[in-house]
Amino acid sequence: MTADREQIRSLDDPEVMVQTPATIYDAIPPLTPRTEREAEFYELGDGEMFVNLGPQHPSTHGVLRVVLKIDGEKIVDLDPVMGYLHRGVEKICEYGDWHHAISNTDPLEYAASMFSEALPVLSAERLLDLEVPRRADYIRVLAWELNRISSHALFIGWLALDLGGLTPILYGFAERDEIVEMLAALTGQKLLFNYMRIGGVNGDVNHEFLSRLGDWMGRAAVRINDQATLMNENEIFVNRTKGLGVVDREMALQYHMSGPPLRATGVPYDVRRAHPYSVYPELEFDIPVRTDGDSYARYLLHIDEIKQSLRIIDQVLHQMPDGPVMAKLPRLLRIPPNRAFAAIESPRGQYAAYAVSDGSDQPFRFRIHDPSFFNLQAVGPLTRGELLADIMAIMASLDPIMGGIDK
Amino acid sequence: MSAAATPAPHGVSLTGKIILGLLAIVVAGALGFFLLWVTGLGSALVEWTVDTGEANIEILRFVAAATGVLLFTIPAAFVIIYMELKIIAQMNMRVGPDRTGPFGALASLMAGLKVLSKEDYTPRGVDVPVYTLAPAVTFLASVLTLLVIPFAPGMAGYYMELGLLYFFAASGLGVVGLMMAGWSSFNKYSLLGGIRAAAAVISYELPLILGTFGVVLLAGAFGPADTSPLNLGQIVENQAGWVWNWYAFQQPLALIIFFIAATAEAGRTPFDYTEADSELVAGFATEYSGMRFGFFFFAEYVNVFILSALTVTLFLGGYHLGVDIDPILGFFGVTTPLEMSSIDPGSLGPWLLAIPLMVPPVLTLAFGGLLWMVKSGWGIIKSLVVGFLLANLLVGALFTFWALFSFEALLGVLVFFGKSFGLVALFVMMRATYPRVRIDQMMNFAWKWLMPAALLNIFITAGAIIIIKEYLS
Amino acid sequence: MLATLDHRLGDRIVAPAEVMGDTIELVVRPRDLTDVMRTLRDDGDLRFELMADLCGVDTGLTMQVVYHLWSPLSSDWVRVIADGLSRDDPRVPSMVHLWPGAEWAEREAYDMFGIEFEGNRDLRRIYMPPDYLSFPLRKDFALADDASRGTGAGIRHQEHPIAPAEVRAQPVIRTSAGAGAMLGPDGESLAVSAGANPEPAAVESGEEPA
Repeated sequence: MTADREQIRSLDDPEVMVQTPATIYDAIPPLTPRTEREAEFYELGDGEMFVNLGPQHPSTHGVLRVVLKIDGEKIVDLDPVMGYLHRGVEKICEYGDWHHAISNTDPLEYAASMFSEALPVLSAERLLDLEVPRRADYIRVLAWELNRISSHALFIGWLALDLGGLTPILYGFAERDEIVEMLAALTGQKLLFNYMRIGGVNGDVNHEFLSRLGDWMGRAAVRINDQATLMNENEIFVNRTKGLGVVDREMALQYHMSGPPLRATGVPYDVRRAHPYSVYPELEFDIPVRTDGDSYARYLLHIDEIKQSLRIIDQVLHQMPDGPVMAKLPRLLRIPPNRAFAAIESPRGQYAAYAVSDGSDQPFRFRIHDPSFFNLQAVGPLTRGELLADIMAIMASLDPIMGGIDK
Repeated sequence: MSAAATPAPHGVSLTGKIILGLLAIVVAGALGFFLLWVTGLGSALVEWTVDTGEANIEILRFVAAATGVLLFTIPAAFVIIYMELKIIAQMNMRVGPDRTGPFGALASLMAGLKVLSKEDYTPRGVDVPVYTLAPAVTFLASVLTLLVIPFAPGMAGYYMELGLLYFFAASGLGVVGLMMAGWSSFNKYSLLGGIRAAAAVISYELPLILGTFGVVLLAGAFGPADTSPLNLGQIVENQAGWVWNWYAFQQPLALIIFFIAATAEAGRTPFDYTEADSELVAGFATEYSGMRFGFFFFAEYVNVFILSALTVTLFLGGYHLGVDIDPILGFFGVTTPLEMSSIDPGSLGPWLLAIPLMVPPVLTLAFGGLLWMVKSGWGIIKSLVVGFLLANLLVGALFTFWALFSFEALLGVLVFFGKSFGLVALFVMMRATYPRVRIDQMMNFAWKWLMPAALLNIFITAGAIIIIKEYLS
Repeated sequence: MLATLDHRLGDRIVAPAEVMGDTIELVVRPRDLTDVMRTLRDDGDLRFELMADLCGVDTGLTMQVVYHLWSPLSSDWVRVIADGLSRDDPRVPSMVHLWPGAEWAEREAYDMFGIEFEGNRDLRRIYMPPDYLSFPLRKDFALADDASRGTGAGIRHQEHPIAPAEVRAQPVIRTSAGAGAMLGPDGESLAVSAGANPEPAAVESGEEPA
C-alpha cells in the first residue's frame, strides 16, 4: 500500500533487452548461498551443468522441484526443493476444532486419505483415552486396507508410467475405480473421504457397499495378478529397476525410512505389529519382508502387501461384530491438557501425529509426521552417480506423495 | 428497433467475398476458354502440351510419382495415428476416441487441424534458419524414402538401381534434422534430448543396414544377373510364388535384427528417446509448437510406416500374396492376366448368376452385422442400410482401381498395405506393452549384441551361398 | 525399560522418566541433549536406533524440541523433550551426526519456529520461500484467516511489520501445560509437573468464544 509498484517493463522492450543479461535464461539464477551445503552444491565443476527437474513435470508425483547437477548423463548431485504444496495444515489445525482437523488433514495423503484422517482421530482418542466401539474399529480396518490396496495399485501404475510403460497405470486405475466407487457408496466421497470421526466412523456399512465389495473381492486377486505379471518378468522393467537405488539396513534406519522402503531392506518393522492399534492384534497377517533393498524389491513388496491386505479384508468381513459405530461424545469436545503420539501404518510408511491438547476444544499443537518426507530424503544419497533416467525409477519406487511431504 | 440502433453493415461479408471470388474465376476462365477456342490458339496449345509431355514422359512420371508419394504420407500418418490411439486404448481397457466421426475416425484429422491452428512463434535466441529448417529436413528424410518402395507390380515411385542405398541415405538425413532441432533451440534440455536421440539413432543405423546385407547377398547370388541386388523391385520379385520364397525364412536372424533396429530408428518404445515425456521434458522438440511440431510428429509416423514397408519389401514378400492364385482363378473359370475387358461372361458358367446374387447380400450382412454389433445405438435396419452403402463404396473403389491399373496392381496394393499396417500395428502394440529402456542399456544392446549378430548373419549367409553355389549346383 | 532408562540417564534428565500410555517421556536440558541421545542410541540395553519424529513445539513460554525414538527391545516409544529454549533465540544441538535423516526435519523446525540447530550444515527454509521473514508456527504469528478463531483474523500482510495501531487486539500467545514444559525460558524448573492433571491452561481472554 505504501510501496509503489515498479513500472513493469516487458522483455521485448529494446532498452530492456539490451540491459538484460543472458543469465536470466539460466535455469538456476545465481544466488547467494545461505548455508554451507548450498554453497557446496551451487558450485559448478568442469563440464557440469544445472538442470531443473522443474515443479511442473509429469513424473514428480506432485509439485516437486529437483535441481540436478549433471555431468553429461550422470547425476553429480541433487537438491530437492519443496514447499510448492505447503498449505500450513499444522497451523490451520491449531485454529479449528479437533473435528475440523479431520477435514484439514484429509488432503495430506490424497491417494489414500483414510490414513491421514486417522491421525487426528487416533491421537484425540489417545489423549482422551477413549474406547471405540468394536464395530467401528473393524470398519476402520476395512477402510484402511481398501485404501492401501488402491494406493498400491496406483503405485505400480505410476512406477511403470515413469519408466515408459503406458498400460499398467490403467489397470491400476481400473482397480482403483472399483474401490473408490465402493467407498463412495460407503462415505459419499471418492477421494477425500471425511469418514473417520473421533470415537468411531461416520456411518455404518450399507448394502451397496457390501455388494460392491463382494463383487470386487471375487475378481481382485486375479486382476492384481494380471497387473503384476505384466511387469514382474518384463525384461526391460527388471533391467531398469534391479540393483537400482539399493538401500541397506543402516541407511534405512538412519534416514528413518519406513514402510516398503524399510521392509525391502530386511527390517520387519510394521507399525501394525510393532505398536498395535485398532483391531490389528486380532487379525492374522504376515509382514512381507525382502532383503534386496533395490527398486525391484520395493515393487515386489507392494504386490505382497496387496495380497496381505486382501487376507485382512477377508477376515474382517467374517469377524465383524454388531454394535454401534460411534462412541458417545459431547458436542463440544474439550480435551484436558495432555500429550500423545499416535502412529499408523500407511501405504507409504509410518504415519504419525504428536498432539498436544490444552483443555480447550482447539488443538494446541498438532504435528504430522509424514513417511514420504523421510523417504524422499534418501533420494539424494541414492541417486548420486546414477544416470538421469534413473532418478525417475528411484523416486517412483519410494512412492512419495507431495501432499504429505509439503503438508 | 430503435432509431439509435447500429447502422446496417456495409461492405461485402466474408461469405460474399468467397462467392464473388469464385464467380470471378469462373467468368475469367469461361472468357479465356472462349477466346482460345475462337482464335484457334486453344488447339495449338493442346498440341504443344501433348508433344512436350510425350517427349518428357519420364520427368512427368517422376513428378507425378513424387507428388503422389507426398500426398500419400499425410493420410497414412493420420491412419497410423488413429490406429495408435485405438489399439493402445483397447490394450489399456479403454475405448479411445469415439466421438469425433464414426468410431472416432476423424480424431487424428482433428488433431492435425488443431496442430495447424496453434500460434506459430519463434522463441527468442534461437538460430532462426536452422530452427525453421529442422522440421522440414526431418520430414523430408522420411518422405523421400517412399519413392523407391514398390507398392504393387509396376507401381513404385521410381525404380532405382541403387534403391536400397538411396533408402538408407535418405533416412539417414533424419539424424541431421534431430541435431538441427536440438542445437538451434536455445534450450539446454532440447540440446540434451537432441544429442541423446541422435546418439541412439546413429547407434542403431549400423545394425539396421547390416541386417539387410544378408538379403542383398541372396538377391545378388540367386536373383537375375542383370539387375542390381539393391533394386527393391527386384528383391520383391525374387520373393514371388509361395510363402517359403520370402526372405524371412531364409534370413530369420536378419529379420529380428532389422525389426529391433527399426524400432529404435523410428524412435518407438521401448526405445523412444525422442518422446520420453516422463524424463527430461519433451526432448529436442521442446521449443517447437504448432505446425513445426506437427512436422516432427508426422515425420515420426511416416518413419514408422516406411520402416514397416521396408521390412515387408525385404523380408515378407512385398506385394506378393504368398500363394499362387492361378488355381483359385481357374476354379472360377478365369485366367491371368485378369483384365476387365478380358473376362468373358460366358466362361464364368454358373458363377455368372451366383456372384451377383450372393456377393451383395453377403457383403451387406457382413458390414451391417459388424456395425450393428459395435454401434449400440443403431438398430438393425439402420446398420444394414449403412452396411449396404459401405459395401457398395468398397466394391466401387476396388473396381475403379482395377479398371485404372490392373488386377495384379489391385491385389498387390491390398496385400502390401495389409502387411505394412500389420507391422505398424505390431509397433503400436509394442508401445502399449513395454516400458522404456535406459539409454546406456540401449546403446549397449546395439553395439554389443545387435551389431555382432548382424555380422554373424552376414558371415553365415555368405558361407551358405558359397557352399550352395560351389557344391550343390 | 523404565528402570534401565532411569538408571542410565538419571543424572542428565530433569525429572524421572514418566510413562504415559505406551510412551516413556524424558525431559532434558538442551546442553545435555547430545549425550542423552547418544546414550539412547548406542547403549546395548537401550538401542533406540530409530528416530521416529523430530518436531518443535512452541509452548508460549518456551520452545521445545520433541524427539520420539523406538527400540527393538521395547514396544514403547520414548519421547525426549528438549525443554527450556528461549522463544527469542532457541538453539539446540543438531542430531544430524547421529541420524542423517534428521536434516530435513530440523530444517522444517527451523522454518516453522526459528529454532537454530547447531551442527546442521543445511539449515535453510524448506517450505516457505527463501526470502520469507516470519516463522509461521510460532504462537505470535497470527493467521490472518477471517474464518478461524484466532486473534489475527482480519489482519493482512503478515510479512509487514505490524505497527501496534494496525492490530485489532494484542496478539495473545496461547500457552498450555499440556505441552509438558518443565523448564522455563531461563532454564529453571517450573513448579508444574508434566502429565499430572493441572488446571486448564491460561486461555487468554483475547480469544473469541466459539
